[in-house]
Amino acid sequence: MGVVYQVRHETRYRYGATVDVAAHMLHLLPRALPWQRVLSSAIITDPPVERCVDGRDHFGNQVTWLFMHRPHADFTVTLEARVVVSAGLAPADSGPAWEDVAALMRARAAWREAEFVFASQHAPADRAAAGWASLDFPPGRPIMEGLRALNRRFSDEFRFRPGVTEVNTPVAEVLRRREGVCQDFSHLMIAALRGLGLPARYVSGYVRTRPPPGQPARRGADQSHAWVEAWAGPSLGWIGLDPTNGIEVREEHVLLAWGRDFSDVSPVRGVILGGGEHGVLVSVDLAPAENEQNDNI
Amino acid sequence: MHEPGNADPTVTQSQFQSATSPVMPDPPIDEMVDGGGGVRPHWRQLLGVMTGLGPEELRLRAAALNAALAEEGISALSPGTAEHEWRCDALPLPIPASEFAVLESGLAQRASLLERLLADLYGPRTLLEEGVLPASLLWPNPGYLRACEDLPGRPRLHLYAADLVRGANGVWHVLADRTEAGNGIAYALENRRMMARMLPELFAPHLVMPLRPFLDSWEDTLRALLPAGAESAGVGLLTPGTGDPYWAEHVLMARELSATLVEGGDLTVRGGALFLKTLRGLRPIGLLLNRQDGDQIDPLELAAGSAHGVPGLLDAMRAGSVRVLNHPGARLVESPGIAAFLPALAQRLLGEELILPSVGAVWLGDPDALARVRQQPRSWWLRPALDGRAAPVNLAALAPARRDALMARVAADPGSYAALAAMGFSAAPCVAPVGLEPRPIVLRLFLVSDGQGWRIMPGGLARALGPDDPLAGRLPTRALSKDVWVLAEQGASLIGPAVPAAPVLVIRRTAGDLPSRVADNFNWLGRYLERLESAARLLRAAVSRIVRAAPTPRELAELEVLGACMAGIELVPAGTDAALGAGSLAQAVLAALRGQGRMVLLLGQVGRIAELLRDRMTDEMHATMSGGVRALRESLRGQAVRPYHSPRDEHHALEEAAVWLQRALELSAAMSGLIAENMVRGGGRLFVDLGRRIERAQAIAVEVAAALEPPERADGARAEAGRVEAGRVEAGLRLVLELRDSVLTYRNRYLGVMQPAPALDLVLADAGNPRGLAFQLSDATQLLTAIAGESEVSFAPEMATLLARAEALVRDVQRAPDQAEAAAGLPPALRALSGLIGALSDDVSRHYFSLLPATRTVGVDALAIDAGGDGLLGAA
Repeated sequence: MGVVYQVRHETRYRYGATVDVAAHMLHLLPRALPWQRVLSSAIITDPPVERCVDGRDHFGNQVTWLFMHRPHADFTVTLEARVVVSAGLAPADSGPAWEDVAALMRARAAWREAEFVFASQHAPADRAAAGWASLDFPPGRPIMEGLRALNRRFSDEFRFRPGVTEVNTPVAEVLRRREGVCQDFSHLMIAALRGLGLPARYVSGYVRTRPPPGQPARRGADQSHAWVEAWAGPSLGWIGLDPTNGIEVREEHVLLAWGRDFSDVSPVRGVILGGGEHGVLVSVDLAPAENEQNDNI
Repeated sequence: MHEPGNADPTVTQSQFQSATSPVMPDPPIDEMVDGGGGVRPHWRQLLGVMTGLGPEELRLRAAALNAALAEEGISALSPGTAEHEWRCDALPLPIPASEFAVLESGLAQRASLLERLLADLYGPRTLLEEGVLPASLLWPNPGYLRACEDLPGRPRLHLYAADLVRGANGVWHVLADRTEAGNGIAYALENRRMMARMLPELFAPHLVMPLRPFLDSWEDTLRALLPAGAESAGVGLLTPGTGDPYWAEHVLMARELSATLVEGGDLTVRGGALFLKTLRGLRPIGLLLNRQDGDQIDPLELAAGSAHGVPGLLDAMRAGSVRVLNHPGARLVESPGIAAFLPALAQRLLGEELILPSVGAVWLGDPDALARVRQQPRSWWLRPALDGRAAPVNLAALAPARRDALMARVAADPGSYAALAAMGFSAAPCVAPVGLEPRPIVLRLFLVSDGQGWRIMPGGLARALGPDDPLAGRLPTRALSKDVWVLAEQGASLIGPAVPAAPVLVIRRTAGDLPSRVADNFNWLGRYLERLESAARLLRAAVSRIVRAAPTPRELAELEVLGACMAGIELVPAGTDAALGAGSLAQAVLAALRGQGRMVLLLGQVGRIAELLRDRMTDEMHATMSGGVRALRESLRGQAVRPYHSPRDEHHALEEAAVWLQRALELSAAMSGLIAENMVRGGGRLFVDLGRRIERAQAIAVEVAAALEPPERADGARAEAGRVEAGRVEAGLRLVLELRDSVLTYRNRYLGVMQPAPALDLVLADAGNPRGLAFQLSDATQLLTAIAGESEVSFAPEMATLLARAEALVRDVQRAPDQAEAAAGLPPALRALSGLIGALSDDVSRHYFSLLPATRTVGVDALAIDAGGDGLLGAA
């Protein structure tokens, strides 16, 4: 069955001076997946753009390019989508020993997954991070146990605190401060896993604004969210983990795109000519669609 | 025709005496002499001519060759000339046609292989699936641009260069592949041009394959590669600008290939198509020959914040309206780690053996290779596996401690390294201070593809390595090079392919296609030249008075006015005028010529703008200007080192300064002359002239105002209005006439009787006086009319209004009962006029030069996360 979600994500730029020319690249349309069906999705801009191109990136994510050549003082881009998310099955078993997964990275068969084991701009293979994570990965431990334990440590040891970090804050500093936002936790977890030789990727999307009944409010709701997918070997495949909330990704998340780190899937990235000082306002709403609430309860 | 036996045996013997070089583990073989000590056949005639010239003459020619290269070759073109010392040896490197044919087929095969490799790695990646190539050479490779996977347009590889060395067995081995930007073609062309001029005798007995047909056919290839539907669009050569070490190459190549030299800021993408911003609007560009790093070409999708790229360029490429060559991600396949797999890849992709062997390359991610290198590190050169631009490190040349440290790093992360088997390679004789000296040779050859086949340039660039020269990697900007001769067989026809009929060109006489940035630079060239000139005139006038043994009261009064004028343009600090001792003024004047003084800065600005316009000036203009600026700077430096302690020293320094100022004025005059006589009226010329007119008009208005204004008293108050001293106004006007070079004209007209209205008329209102204000404004009006052409927007009427204002000012003085008093009242109106001229100039700039701020990237910083968590729209 699954939950039907209504998504609305608005990004509003207010420029201090007129922008003469602008180009934006969006990773904003939800990705169709076996467990995520996109009923409808649309991108609306104000003012309207002169050129809009849809395509797919290297990772298979949907990309939208927008081009504007007329002077404008502000710019709003909004995603509106309806998405059905079905609860993925919990992994059937705890998977192979984590070292066996790491060893596969040198094998030909896992050449695709190997892309996510290498350091990237925001998620380097950090030695300190790997050392910290290795507590959860003693020799021979099944990979799922290690992943779950590491995922839980974020909610146990870290404080969700917006405003203390930015994207260029090194993962080592996030590890030292033990605080940050979903982006920092995801980058740190990815870096730690890569440091152990395990492939991990960055996922951009949303977590539902109000939790299901009986559950605590989720951190990272009402805004763009980020989490991690780790590869647990060929039979289990990619496992979604939300370190910010210490939960596994089931049916509370809507997925937009994945990449090596944030820079591959920045929801709205643009180049403007002119503009002076600019401010950005972002609002996100992810709620189960009213008339389909029953599916969820 | 020389007999083969004519070779002078002493020359050939002596060259073996210094044959040891750290890069050569084995005894080198010699390009000229075979194992038995005999001269190789294709060197015989060359050696004969050399012997005929004699060692002394050869050295003289070699020196002349390098002087010519420095003065008008690559070195002269390059910014920051001191660091770019590109020399050419007087002896070429001859290669027989039969041998070159092997190189051609071998390199064409290799280039095809690299093209297929790019197609697979940016496409299905079957090579990874099949395990032919390890994934760790692709995924973390900085040359692999994920955004460039679906770009249409073939070939991906258009220009390919390879570095080769000749092994001890006499066979050429490929040392490295250059697929992003195989620099050096322009260097090779320059070498050939200079050699033909300085050493024509060497060419006489040979049939040297000419380079021109290759360039002609390359130019045709570029036109043929224009995308369908964009056949009439322009071809651009994209350069990062004058700051790039290979900028000179970009300028020369653009000229050779009739491409427009463009920078990212000159271009804009509209509606999925690429355009050049020109004075007349947007002109379509259908093909870009890219000479900047591939990851810098589009800040929207590639490296964020790149200042050189064009946002949306990849979109235009995907739309098929523009083609960028080489493929922006082509650097991927020059990775040393991938080079180790080329023999296997040739089997897999071409089903062939490589015709040309490679210098043994291994990737250390392979445990066997790592073991071999660790066992005998001294037999290897080490390279980063994923960076073909880095120079290889000779492990044998490292101190043991450093070598061990490096090998420890390799052991920790072997997949990041590759190695080349050290091998002995050939040396060729070079002209040395005494006799000849053999130096190891690395040969760079160039091939161009039209998508069907590869065509090699029948020549190339040989580097004769010194002990510290890099073996491979990025082409260094200083080196000793050699012209490479491909010797045709006797009786071969050297006529290139028939020149294909060129499309009929539309006759154009306007400046329309001038990129806005270039027009802006021309405008500033005019302004800076004028600033330099008018500053030099003021300083000269001041110095000539200061050095007099006993200045007359009139001269002292004039110095006061000069001080005010100079302070007005920040030539001397404000306040210098008030404390008028000639002593302090003398110090201020000398300070303007020292250190960071105003004159020094102005000279720097002229020099910089000359470099920015290098590709738009004739060689003569550029040589005059950059040579002149350089000479003036050096002479200033010479003066600055001599301290002066006594009035006598100061006097001497001032006299030196006077001579220097005269030279600065001569340079300005020479430039004006060249611009007037050499530049086509239209295009850049209009903007140089306009810049000059506007700058001079403002300077005159401010100068006359300063000359008429009562001096500031010690208490800061101006002289009371109404008590105008006629004598002071007269002195001021005399000075203005002198500064504006109009003394003679005034004397001829008015026989030395000094009255305000006639003097002001000559300086402000007489449109016939080229040093007067009216001339500037009326000429600027005409220039603006010409610049506007048929467009609706013209700034000419506004300029004409300013001219009328200037005329009215003089009329008012003439009609006044007391001319001196009326003249003394002019300064505020003159300053206002100068302000209006400046404002109009700003409007012109904004309209024509589209002075847009640099692009900025937004949204890559971070997810926009509200601290409060409650956005505009709450949960429903």
